[in-house]
Amino acid sequence: MRNQQQQQRRSFSRRQFLSESYLGLGGLALIDMLLADSASAAPSLDHPLAVKPQHRPAKAKNCIFLFMEGGVSQMDTFEYKPVLQKLAGQQMPLQGRTIGEINTFAAAPNRIIPPYWPFQQHGQSGRWMSDLLPELAGTVDDMAFIHGIKVDNNNHGPAVYHTLTGSQFPGSASIGAWVTYGLGSENQDLPGFIVLGDRRGATIGGANVWGNGFLPAAYQGTLFRNGDTPIVDLNRRQGISEAEQRSELDLLRWFNEKHADERSDTSELEARIASYELAFRMQVEAPELVDLAGETEATRNLYGLDDPDSEHFGRQCLLARRMVERGVRFVKVLHGAGSDRWDDHGNIEGRLPKHCKEVDKPVAGLLKDLKSRGLLDETLVVWASEMGRTPFDNNLVTPTPGRDHNQYGLVVWMAGGDVKAGATFGETDELSVRAANEEIPVRDVHATILHLLGLDQNRLNYLHAGRFKKLTDTGGRVIDEIVV
Amino acid sequence: MHRFGPILLLFLWGALGSASSAPAPSFESDIALLLTANCAACHSTQVKTSGFSVANLEAVITGGSKHGRAVVPGHPEQSPLILALRGEIAPKMPLGGELPADEIARIEEWIRGLPPEAASTNDSEWRWPYEKPVKHEPPVVKNAAWVRNPIDAFIAAKLDEEGLTPAPPASKRTLARRVYLDLIGLPPTPDEVEAFLTDESLDAYSKLVDKLLDDARYGERWGRHWLDLARYGETSGLEGDGAIGNAWRYRDWVIRAFNSDMPYDEFVIQQIAGGDEHSKTRNNYVPDQQGYIPTGFLRTAPWDRSNLVAAEVRQNYLSEVTTSTASIFLGLTVGCARCHDHKYDPIPQKDFYRLQAFFNAIQVEDRQGAIDLPEVPYEDETFAAKAEERIKQYEERLKDGPETKELDELEEQLLVKLKVAKAKKAEGEELTNKDLRLEISRDGQTTFTKAEQRKHARLREDADRTQDPEENQSLEAYEAELLAKLKAAYAAGQADPAARFDALTVASVRSEVQAQYSADSFFTEEEKDRHTKLSGALDVYGRRLERWKPVVLAVRNVPGPPSGPPLAPTHLLIRGDYRQPGEAVEAGFPSAITGNSEPAEMITDRYRQFPTRGLRMTLARWIAGPDNPLTARVMVNRIWQHHFGEGIVRTPSDFGKNGERPTHPELLDWLAVEFVEQGWSIKTMHRLMLLSNTYRQAAENPLRTAEEADPDNRLLSRYQRRRLEAEVIRDGILHASGRLNPEMYGPSIFPPLPDDLADLARYGRTGGLMWEPNETEQDARRRSVYVFQRRSLPLPMLASFDALPFAESCPRRSATTTPLQALSMMNGYLVHEESQHLAERIHREAAGDGNDQIERAFEIVLNRPPTRGEAEKFAAFPGGLASICRVLFNSNEFLYVE
Repeated sequence: MRNQQQQQRRSFSRRQFLSESYLGLGGLALIDMLLADSASAAPSLDHPLAVKPQHRPAKAKNCIFLFMEGGVSQMDTFEYKPVLQKLAGQQMPLQGRTIGEINTFAAAPNRIIPPYWPFQQHGQSGRWMSDLLPELAGTVDDMAFIHGIKVDNNNHGPAVYHTLTGSQFPGSASIGAWVTYGLGSENQDLPGFIVLGDRRGATIGGANVWGNGFLPAAYQGTLFRNGDTPIVDLNRRQGISEAEQRSELDLLRWFNEKHADERSDTSELEARIASYELAFRMQVEAPELVDLAGETEATRNLYGLDDPDSEHFGRQCLLARRMVERGVRFVKVLHGAGSDRWDDHGNIEGRLPKHCKEVDKPVAGLLKDLKSRGLLDETLVVWASEMGRTPFDNNLVTPTPGRDHNQYGLVVWMAGGDVKAGATFGETDELSVRAANEEIPVRDVHATILHLLGLDQNRLNYLHAGRFKKLTDTGGRVIDEIVV
Repeated sequence: MHRFGPILLLFLWGALGSASSAPAPSFESDIALLLTANCAACHSTQVKTSGFSVANLEAVITGGSKHGRAVVPGHPEQSPLILALRGEIAPKMPLGGELPADEIARIEEWIRGLPPEAASTNDSEWRWPYEKPVKHEPPVVKNAAWVRNPIDAFIAAKLDEEGLTPAPPASKRTLARRVYLDLIGLPPTPDEVEAFLTDESLDAYSKLVDKLLDDARYGERWGRHWLDLARYGETSGLEGDGAIGNAWRYRDWVIRAFNSDMPYDEFVIQQIAGGDEHSKTRNNYVPDQQGYIPTGFLRTAPWDRSNLVAAEVRQNYLSEVTTSTASIFLGLTVGCARCHDHKYDPIPQKDFYRLQAFFNAIQVEDRQGAIDLPEVPYEDETFAAKAEERIKQYEERLKDGPETKELDELEEQLLVKLKVAKAKKAEGEELTNKDLRLEISRDGQTTFTKAEQRKHARLREDADRTQDPEENQSLEAYEAELLAKLKAAYAAGQADPAARFDALTVASVRSEVQAQYSADSFFTEEEKDRHTKLSGALDVYGRRLERWKPVVLAVRNVPGPPSGPPLAPTHLLIRGDYRQPGEAVEAGFPSAITGNSEPAEMITDRYRQFPTRGLRMTLARWIAGPDNPLTARVMVNRIWQHHFGEGIVRTPSDFGKNGERPTHPELLDWLAVEFVEQGWSIKTMHRLMLLSNTYRQAAENPLRTAEEADPDNRLLSRYQRRRLEAEVIRDGILHASGRLNPEMYGPSIFPPLPDDLADLARYGRTGGLMWEPNETEQDARRRSVYVFQRRSLPLPMLASFDALPFAESCPRRSATTTPLQALSMMNGYLVHEESQHLAERIHREAAGDGNDQIERAFEIVLNRPPTRGEAEKFAAFPGGLASICRVLFNSNEFLYVE
């Protein structure tokens, strides 16, 4: 595959590239044009983020992927299960059929914990939502829900990998890497795939969660740090002025061009020359991107920046909007880290409201803001976690019970693009344990995300170690029920 | 030129105009016609120009000798067929003509609709990988004068066919830089270049090759290539990403194996079957303990024991080692057959499990598990002495070093504070179980009898351990009883209520420090930080101590009868699902090679005294046997790949149908047979390849046609210029500044993270330390092969240049170009600091004027003096010498080898 990619490189004219891509106004716009010109090109290793056409027309061009680490309890948020109130404190009734790995938990002594919070119906769609998410309840008519998704593993690490890379083992390409591989990115001055981490610490899978896996490194997510220096090594070293750096880069450029002039087959060398100019631009673009000074107070409040509880995640969501606005292809926003995540084994009554409050207003604000700016049409917003939770607790004595992991109970919702607003697909049984009818494997959700971004899960492949690797591995079903 | 009649054209036009109703193009109904009409004159079964024919679907997809596979299903923009028709690769086809855009579009549409599996041609002739290589006579070629050894004959023959001539030889300077980087992963010093330039003897170059092959840094360079394949990492990669044990001993074993030119067959056998051998004659034979070290190969992949379903963890492990072993040593993508018969190659699903059965006796050693990792003494005496000294040093430091003393003092102070604070807080509060637990454990208390103390301790231990509700109830009931007794004693004045806080211990202090959510802690933030820092420092000493101990990460065999149960049979798993066992299978070799599905004949000890031994050895001996058709081919191809940029088979871990065709099949076979005949000596193969004229070519072939006719350099019409790997870039920078620490072997190092990531290297109250301080400052400047391989935290600079701690076997690195690389090279601490050190070095070594210094900088970084124009330009540059060094480190000339 690399060979074809190499050939593609040669379609750039060296002279044209050099004369137009630097010096003078709009030089970088010309680079963009040149890159855009090669839209039909295979992802080349020199211009890996050049824009590539969708496989099928789809409204959404970019994606904001909100990931709640730890396993969000579905029956306390999105799934209304009144039966749990009736069975409160009782041993979970063993069902006639196996319930797989969580069987172990269900068979052990346990007690059903009813949700602590009331549910109401909201919007035209009449969707039941817990009072824990009052702001999101106001946007349910823009969202489509998938219930009863099954993840391959009941532990955080592997389940996080599975939901974010399609495989429960590290080393596979993450969704963001696949999407930027498939579509490139519109803004060449910023990374095409950006990750916004939680300030509390690293995510459980570390860099693998936004890794390129077997894809070239250009598709790995770039972790944006909190603060003024969003990208590692973005800032000039102390003591080096912009003018000094510019003059170094000019000398470097002169030297590299001379080097290339003496050689043939130079597209790779030229790409590297251009990459220094892009990096130089990025030093300007990235700090501007994370500087929220230009946002109005109304916008800031819309995202909950006026409340210390929601301020941090609100900022991340607002940054995500600014990124897709600037043509960043894929933004992954992470919430929860270390022990401060959605992993409510105990004291769910105390912990869950805290996390809900941290994200409720920011996420609702994001949807509203995208919509009012006309961006929701072209932005796919996805909410996911790595698993759901059980309706019961195996700890029979604690006064502050919680819920265990449930790999059968994941809820994902989407909004924007061609998402059928207000739709619901899939349903768990009355105890919210697992799908009542059809189990939905994670790969179906992945196939649907790709589809909504105009990518065909089969055509988006990469030959690696003798196999055409795909995000959906053996292939998933596009969940048409939530697509317009 | 043949053209379609107007009617067909109209039909095609119409079809394109209304894409929705048009039938998808099919090969038989239209593409074949189109290609035959336009291409068959030169590309038919009879006239197969450049090996390409359009006679049938298979031939079209397979492609010719120049561009390899002509059609990439689903990707017209990547398919050489389309690129040639559009003139994007030369020559434009059809020669001298052009296909109308709509016809090209039709072919594109057809390619777009092809499923990936279409790439697998139905080539029943694809037998060559499974048949023993034959040593063909090197061809006789026109350009006989150029042929220095048989490699050149095979290369020249293909070039002849295409009417090409090889590139002229590279200059001695270029060649010196190339061969240093290639063999030891570092550029030569100016003195070394000078020595080579002035050595005018005929064998100057061959002497240089020998010198570099004897250089210990060779093992570090070539060992790293192997570690990529072996998916070497030092953490589990999963839940928590904890360290998996002393994986570095396997890393060192690999480096030593390359340096000692361990015959490749032995290299294979030790990694698959170290410690699995037995004696044909001796009873109670004890395997060589040293053999456990290389089995790290079977253990360094990501590993997760925290999954609840033990059987699944086990099966995932077995699948991984089966898949990796087959792809790394045999170039077979056996992993594709885990769930179903291989779609492209003759590997039935059953063969996956027959192969897996060879690993059935493995007992996975695991630090977290119940099984202790084996201790294997260090063989290298110097290293053993060093390790012993470090172990002693850390043991002492932990026992009564300054941190320990300070921490003890701090904990004592905090304990006093805690006692007072708790006593104060308890005033007027109702007594609870917690108070009871303190008093009953207090030395000198008189309220409770010894028997009561014992019973309470036992109940409490049971309840804590089991978390069982019944146990808890018994504890609670008993505690209620005791609490009543305590209250009565206090009421009667028989016991001092304040005294119970004397029972608080440093354990209480520690849990108070670590309590995460306690808003009103008894300790100040400063106290907690100081405690965290001290105990963090001690934790690091503890980790270092463990790493210096001669413990190895390895696999051994389960004992089996008579000590334990016999091995359970291996079953084929339906759809690869561990819950769906199918027929039982016995260990056996891939039927594609042996031609049968019989169980393998096991190598066992005479009396079958150790029934679990010998499975892996049987497989290893077969893989490394002289009759195996793949092993030697796969390895010589890998060696070739690193010398020439691409393998003869460009998919080095896939010799199957889905892989690429060999560009020079006869050469591959010749090399494979030669490899075995030369006793599997890797260094002999290096010598052969490096001494060829093929290797010594310049990177530019002055014949214009060479680049056009051989755009991907499949014919080796020149040396392939390429970007250096991440490690070579980092090591080269440190080498140039003169600060590379040459220390070899031992526990891994932690080069500083960029400032922006510094919080990952701080002690936190939650979670472990992700990145540790180094034992010595110089450690941070050792070679990159020694960098700690934490799977979830790759060093950003290395990762941006495509080097990660691999989770899957990586046969071939990407070489991407991204602005993030530019950022790390422009702004990162490494280039910045080392540029300054290099400038200082130059000031020392070239005390003359600015011109001398620029010349010295060029010679150190680029191995050549500047041209006059360059000297002038750099002399006129306003920045200082460090600034110039930074520019040189960032230059393409430094980052590429040619």
